[in-house]
Amino acid sequence: MNQRGVATTNGGSGSGSVGVRIQQSRRLPDFLQSVNLKYVKLGYHYLISNLLTLCFIPAIAALSIQVSQMNLDDLRQLWLHLQYNLVSIIICSAILVFGLTVYIMTRPRPVYLVDYSCYRPPDHLKAPYGRFLEHSRLTGDFDESSLEFQRKILERSGLGEETYVPKAMHSIPPTPSMAAAREEAEEVMFGALDTLLRNTNVSPKDIGILVVNCSLFNPTPSLSAMIVNKYKLRGNIRSFNLGGMGCSAGVIAVDLAKDLLQVHRNTYAVVVSTENITQNWYFGNSKSMLIPNCLFRVGGSAVLLSNKSNDRRRAKYKLIHVVRTHRGADDKAFRCVYQEQDDAGKIGVSLSKDLMAIAGGALKTNITTLGPLVLPISEQLLFFTTLVVKKLFNASVKPYIPDFKLAFDHFCIHAGGRAVIDELEKNLQLLPIHVEASRMTLHRFGNTSSSSIWYELAYIEAKGRIRNRNRIWQIAFGSGFKCNSAVWQALRNVKPSSNGPWEDCIDKYR
Amino acid sequence: MVPPQQDHDLVYNLRLSSVGPGCVTGSDVVHDLSGLDLTMKLHYLKAVYFFSSHAVEGLTIMNMKEAMFYLLNDYYITCGRIKRSESSGRPYIKCNDCGIRFVEGVCDETVDEWLETDDDSKRNLLVYHRAMGPELSFSPLVYLQVTQFKCGGISLGLSWAHILGDAFSVSNFINNWGQHMAMVNVNSSPALAPRSLTNTAKPEAPSEPLSAKQVNHVRDLWVLANNCKMETFSFNLTTQHLLNLQAKIGSVSAFDSICALLWRAIAKVREGFEPQIVTVCRKDPCHDDNNVLGNNQIIRTIKASFLVGESDLNKLATLIANDQGQVYDERNRIEAAVEKDNGSTDYIVYGSNLTFVNLENAGLYELELNGEKPKLAYYSIQGVGDEGAVLILPLPHGSAAENEGEPRYLVNLTLPEGQVFKLKAELKRASLL
Repeated sequence: MNQRGVATTNGGSGSGSVGVRIQQSRRLPDFLQSVNLKYVKLGYHYLISNLLTLCFIPAIAALSIQVSQMNLDDLRQLWLHLQYNLVSIIICSAILVFGLTVYIMTRPRPVYLVDYSCYRPPDHLKAPYGRFLEHSRLTGDFDESSLEFQRKILERSGLGEETYVPKAMHSIPPTPSMAAAREEAEEVMFGALDTLLRNTNVSPKDIGILVVNCSLFNPTPSLSAMIVNKYKLRGNIRSFNLGGMGCSAGVIAVDLAKDLLQVHRNTYAVVVSTENITQNWYFGNSKSMLIPNCLFRVGGSAVLLSNKSNDRRRAKYKLIHVVRTHRGADDKAFRCVYQEQDDAGKIGVSLSKDLMAIAGGALKTNITTLGPLVLPISEQLLFFTTLVVKKLFNASVKPYIPDFKLAFDHFCIHAGGRAVIDELEKNLQLLPIHVEASRMTLHRFGNTSSSSIWYELAYIEAKGRIRNRNRIWQIAFGSGFKCNSAVWQALRNVKPSSNGPWEDCIDKYR
Repeated sequence: MVPPQQDHDLVYNLRLSSVGPGCVTGSDVVHDLSGLDLTMKLHYLKAVYFFSSHAVEGLTIMNMKEAMFYLLNDYYITCGRIKRSESSGRPYIKCNDCGIRFVEGVCDETVDEWLETDDDSKRNLLVYHRAMGPELSFSPLVYLQVTQFKCGGISLGLSWAHILGDAFSVSNFINNWGQHMAMVNVNSSPALAPRSLTNTAKPEAPSEPLSAKQVNHVRDLWVLANNCKMETFSFNLTTQHLLNLQAKIGSVSAFDSICALLWRAIAKVREGFEPQIVTVCRKDPCHDDNNVLGNNQIIRTIKASFLVGESDLNKLATLIANDQGQVYDERNRIEAAVEKDNGSTDYIVYGSNLTFVNLENAGLYELELNGEKPKLAYYSIQGVGDEGAVLILPLPHGSAAENEGEPRYLVNLTLPEGQVFKLKAELKRASLL
């Protein structure tokens, strides 16, 4: 079943249940039919998933019947056969044992997520709408149309009144400086790391790998050196600082840590994802660059990964897959999120108008690769069948969109903005409960860039929805244009850690 | 020797920020303004508190801001902004957590040096005051300036839009902040729920109010245009002065006797145009709840049917002290007059007649930082009408043997420029200055 070589797009958002029929039906979907079809599909799914078990039972039954009918004579016959074919049997079993050993030795080492923590900034950094607009007006850098534009974007953004803005932006006029940016980075990273180390009881000397990602702020010495300095990490630590990689850098950092954990045995890896807003506020009037002012907010997360086998008992999740897709080869995708100077010389990040279309395309590429890895056999068979039918019989059949709700129990979609979440909800045919974590994170914390997927996971945990063996899909988009996903599996019924970001306000989000 | 160049102003390094409540107020919380609030919209209260370096030892700006977050959780109405209603254009306060404006400044004098050469124009440097408007929805209602002096002492300068509340509310506000600084358990106030005006029957208006006067429409820039330049000056009344007064005037309170004295003096200065009606504002004893924010002071007018300039002090004092007869509580009348055209006319209260404000029991010295009271608490009104206003403020006095030179009251007068000089001469003659 080779679907990797197939690079077809999975089409737009058709209704999945209608796609099973071969005949072209352009009339409105018949709801009664589609409800019945839903149950047929579910039955088919259960059948295929448990096919092996179902075939196994009759085989066991037949075998047991045969065994019960055997007598001593038959056993002697069997023993004679064995003696005559000793050499071939020994060779076969040697090959079997050898193959098994090679297989076991080359299995990738499991990577466990022991714990993670997200930073919750102090109350005085909150930026309610009224104050945001008043301060923006008082800077004097924005003209009337820019202020009006920002107000409209803010109202439609999906952000609440409790999102956090760095301290330098609260003074009138704002005082962005390198020292203030360092201070913001320190507050966020150290805040998250302090909670993480306290919750997991890990000594800083045990950490062997450190990966930090922060797209827009890259001082010398790097942010990872800042962490090594503060926590007195050991001298032979493998530290990495990823800069400029956008909002999907969180998953990239986890991927890097995962690869390093294959090489270095028996150690801990810490992944810190953050973003820095202090020096990246746009003070000009170009409309495409004003949107980040309204969306990006202060936040950061720290994740502890481990490849020690005895951590399996206390770890929350196991990393199953990481899939990274890069659309930078396409010029339009490359210029989609671009940091440049506007006509007046002010630096800002401009978002192009076809951001949504490109994001949709990147998503399709990503799930085409991810699909075969995670989808149950039933869905893959359906997809393969429709594909074969389409190719061979050339019938104008709508391509089948696999139902990802069967593959995953929880979705953490990067909270890039309300438009992104709406688009994904439509494209993947998700229910509101699946995108609830993304919407609530956007409302409470704003777009915290690479760490938003961790805030969303913390939300789902705080709601108590994660049960043993549940699979979680984290998907993040970023400049480039990149779309990266990570798939985790819960190892137990996960309870939220103490000092979580949602601790004091989860009740407001019922 | 060339004196060193003053290359910056007396108070420099001004830094502005906004401080809002720690908790979100919620969306669509609105505080309606009553008729009485709307008459006060052209007036502003300026309060200055001076603290010695000992009182602010170990206190940083961050401590002060932190205490403000807790304070503003209760006083979130002060953090809102004025909006006009769509249908009638009547102003109301939208509690959208925009915050109060917080200003930090530095001064090169010490507190004692400043207090020696203190006068009104100099004190304006310690209070960052901006009038409301022309963009009402971006004008903060409250400004708080903290100025650091060379000796380590500070001054707190509060500029407060009178539409929010009277001087007693201001004092409560700042005293509550002091309590939060000391981390004393403050009872959070249920009494600060935002007011919503229901359509009650408009109160009966027997006649026009005497204490509130209509002025020209000011639209969205809430500044009072005087016909002449107003000047403010203040002087202290010592124990000796009070004893002298008591000798002349019989058994009335100190406030009433001071009012009588000043009324007569001003009448003499304005010969021919004597003020026959005065307005007296004082604290409403019924509204003694510590946390109430609003314009709840009693406003009374006193009409004299005789010539004031030549009258007997005793007669004047008894007139002022009397509670019945020619004395009227004006608040209902003002309310009715404003509601008649739903708040579209602009009024003033202070300065429509000669106004006396009694701040004796405003609790001015209840504010404590590190257990120490302020060296001086000074209140004044910005935006006084042409008739002038007088504020009587208490001064802290030692509990030990009151020597006769010790100042007991601070009298702050705002009058037209031309009259101030003559009044000072008159007061010198009465041996008060």
